[in-house]
Amino acid sequence: MSVEKRAAFEPPAELVRPVEAPPDMKRPAATVSGAVLVVLRVIAGIVWLVALAAQWDQVLADDGGIDPESAEGIASYGVLAIILVFGAVVLLAQLLLAFAVYRGSNAARLTLMIFATLSIVISWFDYAAGQEITIRTTLVTLALDILVLLALSSRAARAYARRPRR
Amino acid sequence: MGETPVAASDAIDEPPRARRFSINAALDAFFFVFAGVASVWLAWLVLTESFGFGWWGIAFFVVFWLVLAYLVLPRLHRILTTIYVPDYFIGRTRTSDGLLGDPVNLALDGPETSVHAAMLAAGWTRADDVTLASSWRIVTSTLTRKSYDEAPVSPLFLFGRQQDFAYQQEVEGNPAKRHHVRFWRTPDGWLLPGGRRVDWLAAGTFDRAVGFSLFTLQVTHKIDADTDVERDHIIATVVGTSPRARVDVLADFSTGYHSRNGGGDSIRTDGDLPVIDVSDVAAAPVAPSPGGGS
Repeated sequence: MSVEKRAAFEPPAELVRPVEAPPDMKRPAATVSGAVLVVLRVIAGIVWLVALAAQWDQVLADDGGIDPESAEGIASYGVLAIILVFGAVVLLAQLLLAFAVYRGSNAARLTLMIFATLSIVISWFDYAAGQEITIRTTLVTLALDILVLLALSSRAARAYARRPRR
Repeated sequence: MGETPVAASDAIDEPPRARRFSINAALDAFFFVFAGVASVWLAWLVLTESFGFGWWGIAFFVVFWLVLAYLVLPRLHRILTTIYVPDYFIGRTRTSDGLLGDPVNLALDGPETSVHAAMLAAGWTRADDVTLASSWRIVTSTLTRKSYDEAPVSPLFLFGRQQDFAYQQEVEGNPAKRHHVRFWRTPDGWLLPGGRRVDWLAAGTFDRAVGFSLFTLQVTHKIDADTDVERDHIIATVVGTSPRARVDVLADFSTGYHSRNGGGDSIRTDGDLPVIDVSDVAAAPVAPSPGGGS
């Protein structure tokens, strides 16, 4: 039996190798902190939505040059309502997903990581386009997204979510 | 390609192997690497932020170090070591980040109960597992300067598994210094290089101080460079209290290992691998803990 010459490094495919975990694995800290961070991210999202609603007139004047008293301004409250409802639905979904992750769902873990990745990529484009990211603007939500991604993509969280079920 | 009936005969010729690839795993690998890259960006943003806050910037600098040492560098090491550190037995353990850890410098023969009996009789204390409760106890015992003999040891990996258990001895109630040794059961039928069969492999080192890891910048124990002293200490305590334990030395097993452990500490050794046979040590019914008096 011939043995192939072995490379001096492991194949990068090792990163893709499924991790094995015992069915009775205890819930790792990474999974718990991932779920908690998603909840914090949801809270940050609520704060953002509330701030948007409170400052809507200001936002209209600054970004669109629209007078809040005009007919156009009054109609814009419909837009605000749509944004609020849509945002609330997304945040509620994230909250449910956080609970599912805590319970050990792999689909929820992957979905949340896709959410976080998209959010990070969008922030990156904003950053590259010259928008500042500081603690006063979007650093907190971005940091939470990155921490969520780090926690949920860790080997322990992966093993827990993909452990064989009895 | 080739998803024809021919595949069936191919499958018979190929050795049976575990499923090594799936979409799910590929997604995981992508997120694993992407999160590593994103965390570098986060560290950079926090660092630049620290310049804008005057004296408060120092707090941001601490956050920057925390992010770097406990999130960014471990993740980057994990990605890189997965590729560049061979995953077969090379006489070294690996840290949870995949870096080379303490050297394997001791082997044992005998059932698990006998190992426990011999170590307890020799005045060693079994280390607690790392849990939230034990972590909290480390914090409180450090702050209140109480001793915690059963303090957990950090996980090291051999055969892809964390240690099965660990034993330790405190030194004069000083939490920074301690003797400790981790044990791994070898896989069934596994032989040491050279062909000797042993039941257990162990890595014993002496924590001499608390310091910063060279590779991850984390706060960690620094180990004494001369790992032979600790190895001989373990043997002396076990043989001194269990006369039925026999020691057989594989001379020059790893002569020429002069390297660093996972925290960047130098290691020196004469390369001998003693094998302690504890199978004749009576497995005492869980002896009462020797207590802090020993």
